[in-house]
Amino acid sequence: MRNLIAKLALTAAVLGGGLGTAAADTANIWVRADGSNFMPRIVDAYNKAHKDQIKLDIIPNAEIIPKYGAAAAGGTAPDALSLDLIYTPSFAAAGQLEDITDWAKSLPYFASLSPAHVKTGTYKDHIYGLPFSADASVLIWNKKLFKQAGLDPEKGPTNWAEIAADAEKVNALGGNIKGFYFSGNCGGCNIFTFTPLIWASGGDILSADGSKATLDSPQLRGAIDLYRSMVKKDLVPAGAQTDTGANFFAAFAAGNIGISPSGAFAIGALNTQYPNVDYGVTFLPGKDGGWSSFAGGDNFVVTKGTKKLAVVKEFLDFAYSLEGQTILAKYGSLPVRGDIAKDALKDLDPRYQIAAEAMAKGKTPYSVVFNDLINSANGPWTQMINEVFFGDDVDGAIANAQETMQSIIDQAPQK
Amino acid sequence: MTTITASTTAPPRARKLVGAGRRQWIGLLYVAPAVALVMVFFVIPLGMTAWMSLHNWPLMGEHAFIGLDNYWAILRDTRFWNALKFTGYYTVVVTIAIFAVAFPLAIFIEKPRPLTNLYRTFFFMPAVVGFASASLLWSWLLNVDSGLFSPAAYDLGLIDKKFNLLATFQPAFWSIIAMVVWKVAGFTMIILMTGLQSIPQDLQEAAVIDGAGPFARFRAITLPLMRRTLALALILSVAGSILAFDQFYIILRGGPRNQTLTAVYWIFNQSFVSFKLGYGAALSMVLLVILVALSLIQLWLLRKPEGLD
Repeated sequence: MRNLIAKLALTAAVLGGGLGTAAADTANIWVRADGSNFMPRIVDAYNKAHKDQIKLDIIPNAEIIPKYGAAAAGGTAPDALSLDLIYTPSFAAAGQLEDITDWAKSLPYFASLSPAHVKTGTYKDHIYGLPFSADASVLIWNKKLFKQAGLDPEKGPTNWAEIAADAEKVNALGGNIKGFYFSGNCGGCNIFTFTPLIWASGGDILSADGSKATLDSPQLRGAIDLYRSMVKKDLVPAGAQTDTGANFFAAFAAGNIGISPSGAFAIGALNTQYPNVDYGVTFLPGKDGGWSSFAGGDNFVVTKGTKKLAVVKEFLDFAYSLEGQTILAKYGSLPVRGDIAKDALKDLDPRYQIAAEAMAKGKTPYSVVFNDLINSANGPWTQMINEVFFGDDVDGAIANAQETMQSIIDQAPQK
Repeated sequence: MTTITASTTAPPRARKLVGAGRRQWIGLLYVAPAVALVMVFFVIPLGMTAWMSLHNWPLMGEHAFIGLDNYWAILRDTRFWNALKFTGYYTVVVTIAIFAVAFPLAIFIEKPRPLTNLYRTFFFMPAVVGFASASLLWSWLLNVDSGLFSPAAYDLGLIDKKFNLLATFQPAFWSIIAMVVWKVAGFTMIILMTGLQSIPQDLQEAAVIDGAGPFARFRAITLPLMRRTLALALILSVAGSILAFDQFYIILRGGPRNQTLTAVYWIFNQSFVSFKLGYGAALSMVLLVILVALSLIQLWLLRKPEGLD
């Protein structure tokens, strides 16, 4: 709640600040609430140093897509938008975005921009989105609880067997303490933190171009068995079964959870809001070692036909400078320029380095119907993960999800 | 002389005509705000919805006229019909539950006795809370780790392992029913109470003198004379339940495993998750037709029987 009030206050401050600058050209930019920490700071820094100005609006996560669609239909869309990168293909497919291929390729550092972002920002060989903010999935563990359980507090799990064994030892401390936590009814959380387990073991849930669902794999079944066995041994709080993402971060932050898959955002959030939790950060491992990560975050996209293209480009250029990348890193996003990432993270918590490395080699599924397949609370992915982690019929759930996902992909508008 | 009479009688007549015309205009002026509101907030949006339902209308990008294709697609949309089936089941259960609670409450608070006003206020209180806020409140009460019911039962030693009420269909469904009854029964109670109070006392007294027992009086006097009130309460309850969305969205997210998706929830999903506004509009039109038909059937069932006035 305090967080929300802070966000609202920030929005108000930013909106108020935007009013006094009528003389120069002003471009309007939207960002989802996830960016409410770093976005106002980078906009402020830009506005102070430039004649042209940016006016920022912060929109609640769940509302930004419908709101943007309505605004675009009514001709009042913002000039640019910091958009959850997985939506870039569907926005581009709808013909809503400005083609920025030539400009993007003219950037001297184009080759070192986050590859996952550029891949989702590309539709039919044209570039419609460039990386803006980044978040990678990682595994975090509670060092204090590890120590109490007789484990080495400096060494996180490096394969699935170690995750299960460590979680069991922590769980044995008893009381309110539980070994492991995940949001068992949240599709978005689990595409972010559960699929890397599969990727790191050599499997995948979608073909590279997003045209085939490939759920029925030994890697997926193996990862399911890992989670199921921990649920069965009661290492996971009962609330996980119905958590639609509200406790994704809060459960670990309360200090009673041994291990939890999470994201780089947790580093900034734990450091500033829960300084008493002593935690470690490591990669999400594969069955027998190796690791993978979901490369998430926002792509910067430009509304088709905007007249403020010059301002928007100048702003993005500023965001890609060392100053811009440092501001991003300091307030909760990973740098998106690989060549200066080390410099931008230099003075920050060393745990960011792990997340930055995870980001650089991270993966992002590509689909124009990502929302329907994965993020929707009533979509096939969300339904399947809940059934396979807690239900009785794993085979049936996988088969059902495979069929539903493929039919959604096949029915998607072909353009 | 005749000319004078003619001239004196004519003006009042003319004035009368002008007056009638003006009165009509003034009448129109009086209803104009209401008409404008209905036009802007009901008729035009309804027309727009009907128009959109004939298009492939994505949230972004171009829309194209496709005739009745959306409606043909609805025929094959098994998940919509399942959602409608669940909505029907929910409507029947929740309406019975609301009346089962509201009727005894109405009878209890109808007669003046000590503290009646306190009870009335007490029972009516939840009705003034919005559905969304009530759902948020209950979603906390029902939470297995930090809520009230499950942790309380555990701490009191009633159960030896915390039970997640929202994890399986039956407990989740009945939790929602309990919440809706808590929220709505007070309102239905007030409606029923006004019906009870409008029954003339002498009818009841005459029946008592004739030796009718309480059940006979309830069946032969109370129920028939409350026909209109019952119709109102029933239609409000049924219409409200068929349009149910908030509680299933906020507390259950349509879960466990999509078993509590209502019709409106499905329309919301199609429109704002899958961005198919045209298809969502077509679904809305279908639901509207169903709702109007159901309301007409209820009015017909509870119509005044012949000869009774």
